Amino acid sequence: MIGGLIVVLVLTLLAFRLPVGESLKMLADGAFGDKFAISRTAVKACPLLLTGLGMVVAWRSGMYNIGGEGQFIVGGVFGAAAAKFLAFGPHPAPAWVSTTLILLSCCIGGAFWAWLAGWLYVRRGVAVVISTILLNFVALQFLGYCVSGPLQQSKMQVPLTETLPDAVMLPKLSRQMDVHLGTMLPLIAAVAVFIYLYRTRPGFCLRLVGENPNAARASRIDASRYQLQGMMVSGALCGLAGGIEYVGIAGQLGTDFSQQWGFLGIPVALLGALHPLACVGSSVFFGALFAGSENLARFTSAGATLVYIIQAVAVLGYVGIKAYSDRRVAVEAG
Amino acid sequence: MSELAVKGVAKRFGALTALQDVTLTFRSGEIHAVLGENGAGKSTLMNVMSGFLAPDAGTVLLDGKPIPLGSAFECKNLGIEMIHQHFTLVPEFSVAENLSLARLDSLYSPIDPLKNSAQAILSGKDFGWDLDAGAKTGTLPVGVQQRIEILKAISGDARVLIFDEPTAVLSPLEVEELFRVLVRLRDAGKIVVLIAHKLSEVLSVADRISVLRLGKLIQTADRANVTARQLAEWMVGELPAANTLERPSEQGEGFEARDLVVLGDRGETAIDGVKFSVRRGEIFGIGGVDGNGQVELAEAVAQVRTVKGGELTWQAKPFDAEFPVIGYVPQDRQRDGLALGMSIQDNMLISALRRKSLFKGPFLAMRAVREWSQDLIARFSIKAGSPNDSAKSLSGGNQQKVVVSRTLDRDPNLLIVVNPTRGLDIKATQYVHDRILEARQRGAAVLLFSADLDELYALSDRTMFLSKGRLLEDTGAAALVGGEA
Repeated sequence: MIGGLIVVLVLTLLAFRLPVGESLKMLADGAFGDKFAISRTAVKACPLLLTGLGMVVAWRSGMYNIGGEGQFIVGGVFGAAAAKFLAFGPHPAPAWVSTTLILLSCCIGGAFWAWLAGWLYVRRGVAVVISTILLNFVALQFLGYCVSGPLQQSKMQVPLTETLPDAVMLPKLSRQMDVHLGTMLPLIAAVAVFIYLYRTRPGFCLRLVGENPNAARASRIDASRYQLQGMMVSGALCGLAGGIEYVGIAGQLGTDFSQQWGFLGIPVALLGALHPLACVGSSVFFGALFAGSENLARFTSAGATLVYIIQAVAVLGYVGIKAYSDRRVAVEAG
Repeated sequence: MSELAVKGVAKRFGALTALQDVTLTFRSGEIHAVLGENGAGKSTLMNVMSGFLAPDAGTVLLDGKPIPLGSAFECKNLGIEMIHQHFTLVPEFSVAENLSLARLDSLYSPIDPLKNSAQAILSGKDFGWDLDAGAKTGTLPVGVQQRIEILKAISGDARVLIFDEPTAVLSPLEVEELFRVLVRLRDAGKIVVLIAHKLSEVLSVADRISVLRLGKLIQTADRANVTARQLAEWMVGELPAANTLERPSEQGEGFEARDLVVLGDRGETAIDGVKFSVRRGEIFGIGGVDGNGQVELAEAVAQVRTVKGGELTWQAKPFDAEFPVIGYVPQDRQRDGLALGMSIQDNMLISALRRKSLFKGPFLAMRAVREWSQDLIARFSIKAGSPNDSAKSLSGGNQQKVVVSRTLDRDPNLLIVVNPTRGLDIKATQYVHDRILEARQRGAAVLLFSADLDELYALSDRTMFLSKGRLLEDTGAAALVGGEA
């Protein structure tokens, strides 16, 4: 799979008339060349892994959540709202309490946003794909309103929230690098999601519901309960991704808070074959591409475009390979 | 006189040998049945003959000329038509539109469905079928849809007609009607090939019979020269011994339903005030044609579907007070029984989510689960490599064994089974029947739904028939005709 993607990468480079060898070297240097490059890769892989895990949980429950973007954003907004009370209120809470509660609020925000779509499906039969896509737009508008309204910084000049004090931010390992303590969280989350899905009763029921809701029903397992659960856990993970971006990197929210991290979780999840541990690998792959292409972009016009093309091909390739193998199985069984 | 000759055909799928050196001739003016258990290679052979699959070795000759193997479209042009088990009709199209699909000149030519289908509708009249050209196909009964499929196939210049298990979806009356048509097609000089696994049907209509087992041709014989027993032996190798269980030791008051009303999926009344009881140590059989409320009633008793009205009791107490251990084997194992993408072990676990020994709090005790599933695989002789293999990789019979094993492992005292042996081969059927009889022996109250009369009478202590949501006394043939309506 990864081999195929590298072939695609080479073909893309050829299509852009870039020298293949040099460009690949530049990509590799940008992603893994020195400790700064590795730090950049890690920081990019971080939200990718969390939103990717979010997609894994939802999709495993049969809910095709395309709303990671919205859940990421609303998570950030909930976090900023919490920060307004905790860090900027008349009696600021201790920094570590603030940080923890802000991250928790982000999870709650994302979970709430995903719950809306889940509820609409369970109660009203609204297709999750549609509702989650539309809720992304609502989330974006909501963010725009908040950063120029109730959550805007007190100087009131630009649509941005207050900058979090350094003490509240997740501690960095070094001043020159972006790597922070929160970079560990997605890895912990990946293991937790694995245990949840494959080693617990609710996770088992969730996968069963996703695989065949009729079989769940015939065994008196309430499918809608696990569909809602899948959506909320998914939303919480995407919200947490927003939180880590907020408390780890950005420190404040603007209208451009999310760099499509929510959407990018989908190729990460697909390339990781919807398995939480494999997503660690796929998120590092895409994170490295991002970090590497930043390096490439300094010298050519291709840059980020390259990453998006690779991602598109990853999704299409996955769908194609899956359809092909499903057909083979069907033919052999017949 | 024309003939279709299969010469030395072999086909492998990975490690599986589907066909091995099969040589066989089908002649016009004959109904030639190909008989075999599930997985014997019948469908593979038919797919080769109709151009859907290219074999690894061998040829197929139509009147001495090789057919273009692996090219279904060109085989169709030669007049080789296959009537599939799963219909190839467009449900949203009218009958005329579906029929005109058979004779499209090109994708871009204008279509007049009524004109294009007129010929086919007329030949339908010939068979005594009055088809409404404007009716929406999806709303018609399966038997009628099959007629459209047949008309589609013969509307071209068909010379070979291959029927893939055509009776699987039909009621007994519809089967008779189909056989009448097969005979007419034969008399019209077509090569008629019938794939089947039911002995009685094959014996009643075929002129010649070939038996496949494990991808090999065992025998070809004229109808006059074989008996059912002989065919069965060719199919399975050896016949399983008939079961010799005694009457159950424990009997007593069990399940009772009074004035039960159940709604169907579209809110219609599927079960309209039925009353029956099943004693412990008894198998109560409910027969009738599919779609008369069987699934709804089974689901209501299994507590999967909400009950609209009436009362369910266990040992004379309402269900809420005295809840029996319910085991439910749903009718469609792939739709309601299994999660095909999950492992065998996971599929077994579906019925054991409350079994304390397999969990530590909310966590799965992985080693205990594995040992437990291995034990089930061994005890119920399921042919599986490992508990971690996907349920998809199992044959139909072994898939059903997974459902049956996990259901019976809970020692249910109220067991509900719906068409438990549909699509299974003889050995697997015998196996499932033995397990059901064992459950009765152990003192379970068994509620058996079966559209297969042989099965119903072989197992049941008492029978009734379900027709349009009501239970009828078993009064022999009369009840059956009632069930048809």
